[in-house]
Order: sequence, then C-alpha cells, then structure tokens
Amino acid sequence: MTRKSSIQQKLMKVIMLTSGIVLFMTCLAFFVYEYITARQLLKRQVMTLGEIVAANSSAALAFDSHPDAAEILNALAAESNIKAAALYDNDGNLFAKYPAEISPFFLPKHPGRLGYYYNDSHLEGFHEVKQGNTQMGSLFLRSDLRVIYQRFILYGVIASLFIIISFIFAWFISKRLQKTISMPILELAETATVVSEEKNYSVRARNRSNDEVGVLTKAFNHMLTRIEIQNAEITELNQNLEMKVKERTQQLELAFDALKQQTAFTERILDSSVDIIAVFDTELRFVTMNRLGEETYNLTRDQLIGRYLEEVFPQTRQSGMIEDLSRALNGEFVRHVDYISGVTKRHYENFYIPLEDKDGKVYRILTIAHDISDIMTANEKLQTVNTELEKSNGELEQFAYVASHDLQEPLRKIQTFSELGERNINNEEVLRKYLVKINSSAQRMTDLIKAVLNYSRLSKADTEFLEVDLNSVLHSTKVDLELLIQEKNAVINYGTLPAIYGIPLQLHQLFFNLITNSLKFNENTPVVDIATRVVDGNDVDDETMIVKGRKYLLITLADNGIGFDQKFSEKVFSIFQRLHSDKSIQGTGIGLAICKKIVENHQGIISVKSELRKGTTFSIYLPLLHLRTD
Amino acid sequence: MRRACFPILLLLMSILTPVYAQDPTDDQVKANFLLNFSKFIDWPSDAFATPDAPFVLGILGIDPFGKYIDDLVSKEEIANRTIVVRRYNNLQDVLECQILYINQPWKTEEVLSVLKGKSILSVSDDPGFAKAGGIIQFYNDSSAVKLEINGLAAKEAKMSISSKLLRIAKIAETDTAR
Repeated sequence: MTRKSSIQQKLMKVIMLTSGIVLFMTCLAFFVYEYITARQLLKRQVMTLGEIVAANSSAALAFDSHPDAAEILNALAAESNIKAAALYDNDGNLFAKYPAEISPFFLPKHPGRLGYYYNDSHLEGFHEVKQGNTQMGSLFLRSDLRVIYQRFILYGVIASLFIIISFIFAWFISKRLQKTISMPILELAETATVVSEEKNYSVRARNRSNDEVGVLTKAFNHMLTRIEIQNAEITELNQNLEMKVKERTQQLELAFDALKQQTAFTERILDSSVDIIAVFDTELRFVTMNRLGEETYNLTRDQLIGRYLEEVFPQTRQSGMIEDLSRALNGEFVRHVDYISGVTKRHYENFYIPLEDKDGKVYRILTIAHDISDIMTANEKLQTVNTELEKSNGELEQFAYVASHDLQEPLRKIQTFSELGERNINNEEVLRKYLVKINSSAQRMTDLIKAVLNYSRLSKADTEFLEVDLNSVLHSTKVDLELLIQEKNAVINYGTLPAIYGIPLQLHQLFFNLITNSLKFNENTPVVDIATRVVDGNDVDDETMIVKGRKYLLITLADNGIGFDQKFSEKVFSIFQRLHSDKSIQGTGIGLAICKKIVENHQGIISVKSELRKGTTFSIYLPLLHLRTD
Repeated sequence: MRRACFPILLLLMSILTPVYAQDPTDDQVKANFLLNFSKFIDWPSDAFATPDAPFVLGILGIDPFGKYIDDLVSKEEIANRTIVVRRYNNLQDVLECQILYINQPWKTEEVLSVLKGKSILSVSDDPGFAKAGGIIQFYNDSSAVKLEINGLAAKEAKMSISSKLLRIAKIAETDTAR
C-alpha cells in the first residue's frame, strides 16, 4: 500500500498517540519521582554533611578555635553545591563562615529553626553542634539547587531522547503492525469499491483473518453471492415481465384501438344527432357538447369543457334549466316540454337524464335539447289553420244549412210548379205561367248557388295583397251600379280616399255590396256618404280582431235607407239573413256576409249602426299595416 | 543618624546581654574549656570510685575562676555524673579528681609526679607544662586561649582524647613523644 488510507492513518495516529501519551506520562511520573527524590536526596546529603561537619566542629566551638572551625567549614568546598556555611556559638553569634570571603550579610544573623528547608533558590538550614549531650553551637548550611536542576536537565535530555527514539521505534513498529488490522479492511474496502463502481458482483473479497474483519469479509462475500443470485432472479423476472408487458401492451393497444373506434363511433353518433347533446357533471360544469351544440352556440367544446353552465350561459338562470338540472342531479328523469332558450330564443323539448357511476351515484347529467321550434311554429300555424278551418267549417255548416234551406224553397217551387204543370199540361197558358215560375225559381237557385260559390271563394285566404287605390275602387263600383244609380237618382259622396294594401277584387266586392244595399234598401233618393279616418287600435272597442298596438283606417259608409232595428246589428252579417221578409226587395241575403268575410280577410272588422226609417251607417276598420304610407 | 546608632546599640547590648557584661575573660574561657574537656575525653571506668561518684574538677592552687566555674558546672553533667568543682591545697587530695587545674604556686614537676599513672587530666597555664608531661596546657596566641596537648601523657594517664580536640590543639613534642 503506497497510498496511505485513512484507516492506516487512523491506526497509526492511535498507536502513536497512545504511545506518546504513555511515554509522556511515564516520563512525567519519573520526573515527578525524580524531583521528589532529588530533593529528598539533597536534603539528606546536606543533612549528612551537616552531621559530619557539626560533629567535627564541636571541638572548635567548644574550644573557641575559629581557625579550626573555618578550616573544617572549608572542607565543604569539596561539595560544590554548598554555597555557604556558618557556625554559630551557643550565644547565637557567628563563629565561623564559609566561604571565607562571604559577607555576613548573606548569612543568617543567628541560628534559626533546626532542620533543612527548601526556599526558592536554596536548600538551607541549621544543625545543632553537639558534643555528647551538650550543644556547643549551631551549624548553618546553604546548598544551591543546581544539582537538582542539572539532574533534571539530564533527565530531560535523556527523556526526550528516549521519547524520540521510542517514537521512531513506535512509528516503525506500528507501521508494520497496523497492517494486520488495516490490510484486511483496505482490501475489503477496495473490493467494495470495485463492486460498486463496476457493478461487478462476481468479485469476492479475500478473507485474511478470523476476527471481526473476517466476519465482515465473509458477510460481504455472502451478500455478494446473494446479490448475484437475486440479480439473476431479477433479470429472469424482468425478462418475464417484459414479455408480459409486451403482451399486455399489445392487448392494451388493441383494446385502446377498439376503444378509440368505439369512442369515435359514439362521438360520431353524438355529432350526427339533430338534437343538441351536452353532458354536465355534479357541479354543473360542461363535460362535453356535441357538434350541433357547438354550431348553435358558436363555441367549441374545448371552450366549454370544465366551465360552469351558469358562467357560459347566464341566461339559463331564468330559463329554468338550472332547476331542471338540479332535479336531475337528484336522480329524476326530467322532461321539460316547452323550454324556451334564453340564448337562441328557440323552443326545445329538453330531456335531462341522470347518469350513474358504478356505485350507483349520479355523477353526470345527459342533456338532450330537441328543437321543436318548427313544430311549434307548424303547430301554431296548424292551430290558426284549425281555428280558421273550424270557423270555416262552422260557417260552412251554417252556410250549408241555410243554403240548403234557402235553396229548398225555389226547388220546392220548381217541383210544385212542375207537378202543377204536369197536371195542367194541356193548359198552355197555365203551363206557360208555371214554366215562368219554374224558370225564375231556377234562376233564383242559380243566383243563390253563384252567391254561395262566391262566398266560399272568399274563404281562400291566400290571395295576394296589392296596393289598392280606394278612389278607383269606388269609381268602378259606381260604373257597375250605373243603371241602379240612375234609376234611383242616387248620390254617392266620397272625398279623396287613400290607398291601402288589400285584395283588389274583394275590396271591390265589399263596396259593391254595401253600396248596392244602400241603394236597394231605400224608399227615397239614396244618398251615400263615404269617409275615411285613421284611428288607433287602442281606441277601437273590439276584442276579436283588433290588435291594440296597430293603426287602423276607419271607413264609414252612411246611407239614408230604411234602416233596421239595432238589435239585429250582428245578425245582419249572417248568411242568408234577410231582415226584410219583404219579397219586394231582391237579394240573396249573402251580401253582408260576404262583406264581413272580406273585411275579416283583411284582418279588420265591420260593424253597423242603424235606425228604422232613418238610415244605416257601416263602420269598417282595416289595419293600417296594409296601408302604404305616403 | 548613624553616629547616634552606635552608642545606642552599645547601650542596648549592655541591657540585653545579661550574663556576659563584656566579652568573656580569659579565665572564663579557660573555665569553659575545662568543662568542655570532659566532653572530648574518655576516662577509664576505674577513674571513678563508685558509679554515682561525681565528676570532680579540681583546682590546685589559686582559683582564678571563682563562682563562675561553679555556676558553669552546675548546669551540666557528664555521663550521668554531676560535676563538682573542688579546690585543693593539699597535693594528696587531688587524686579524686578527673580534671585538675594546676595553678600558682604549685610546681609542675611536683604535681605531675604525683599524678603519674593516674587517670587525671592535668591542665595548667605553665609554659612548658605539656612538654614536661602535663596533658593540656593553656597558652595565649593573639589574645585567644589556645591548647597544647601532650598525647603521650594522656595515653599514660589511660585517657583517650578525641581527635577532634587533638585537632584543634597544638601537639606537644616531648622527649618521649612518638
């Protein structure tokens, strides 16, 4: 291993640190021991020295021999660490000193405490000088601590050297020894790296030992084996899975295609529908809308899907669709028979069908709007036509009854007179009288039938409206009634009449009939006054025909004829209603009925006011819609 | 200040040194020495009559010490023996001493001949005392009392003198000295 791994470094650090600490602590212990011992030793040494010197000095002190005392003290020169010594006599006075040149200033003045004591820089103390039991004096010794320091320095140097050498040794040894631990770990780590980087699960770590690393290695290898096995299994499963997936995908694709086709088919059905089909969710948001809906509302389904119905079509709030949908949400099948769309204004028959999900809860509303506007219109038309037809029918019935009734009379006459003629066939004159009567009856029948046919023709409402100048109508009517006017010396007054839209022939007939009546039912000189005026529909007292908002042209036609009882003012317009049974005045009895029919064809009304022997005034209201405004 | 100090100091010293009003006199020193000899010399056991016989310090001749030496020895004992000071006027009486201080008017030779062979430490101021056979001789050297010891004489007196003592003393040269 040329590359230092962290395990090795760690191990080395651990070992070195431990060794270092141990060494250090050992040395420290030694130091401390040495320190204590050295001091003790020095003390003892000094004490011994003191003992010796003291013993030797007793005589000098006893016999006051200063030189001898000094000489004895000078022997201390042999001991280099003794820096000063002094002898004191029994009075405590300095007797002798060492070294000779030392100043008494540096020596204690008098003996102090017995024994030797360490101060900062020296070991010094006092010794009794005894001879036998008698104290002769005291000895003072001062030793410096150099010897201790030297010792320490020596020890320091030795210790340091020792530590360094030990360290170096430790380093080398541990370097070798840590391999036993680190090597297997490093190998294992390397194997693991190989496995993870190359994803190669076939490698195995080499097992070098039986310790925990060995256990790790074995477990590792075991794991790798397991991984290999599992990998193989997985691969196999994978392959199986892939096959299955492929199969399933194919199936799904087929199913999907089928579904797509089905969906497209369904969509096509929806889009082909002639009804608007929409689907809402429970929040009344659009889920879908078919093509017809898109076209009708001019919105694409993408613009609708997800949006709230109320948001897109606020009109549905008033139209009732929201209520219908709410009912459908409760599961009710709702059919709104005539729904008027607030958007298109058309009529629909709406179906709201709740759709249930697989749990049976309503989750969608299928809405079908079936446009019935045309049907409604057709219906309305049908109604109108029906009403008309009924009216027609009614009239026709009445008409048929009256007609048959009125026709019966001349027919009877014909029969009667034919019989009579037959009976009197030989009587030429009587026969001729009877034939005349038969002829006139026949003629009468013809007239009646013609009139009836004329009337019936009026029922056809699909005659074109044209612009009709009433002046020309009146003019031509006068021309037609020329003879009668002349005969009766009648006067017909009219101002400038406007032009209106109407059916020319019928209008002609209208005036013809009215004026004819006015001329006929007059015993004096007929005077007919015709006037026109524009009125408002609101002012007209009529509920049947008059539309209140419309303007009408009021044409009044007044004569001075024989008149009739006002109580018949309605009856006069019935078919074959002749008020005057007086056969002197000829008439089919249909004239006024025809007038009424004509006025009704023009969506107007006709009414009459009359007084016996005074005259009659007809009021005709014709809608101004048909009047050209100029 | 300094000049005043010295007299004051002297005054203090004189107050504070009760026992010794001045430096010890030569006699006092000698007295001390006499006592101290007992510490540095061994007498044979037969030097004493009885085990509780006192240690006798005799003075033959003029007593220069006086009360001083009595006070001195009273404070001490040697080898569990009390020390007494006796003054002799008779030569014969001195044989009971262990230490004998010989002073005027007695003659050295006379006394020494009596003491011959006896375990008595003979001490004198007489010049030539040591040479004559006396054991310890006091002499003055630059105003200090010094000792001269005759070792042979000590040996003859069956006394052993500590080398410590011998060391500080002048050893006398005798005719029969080794």
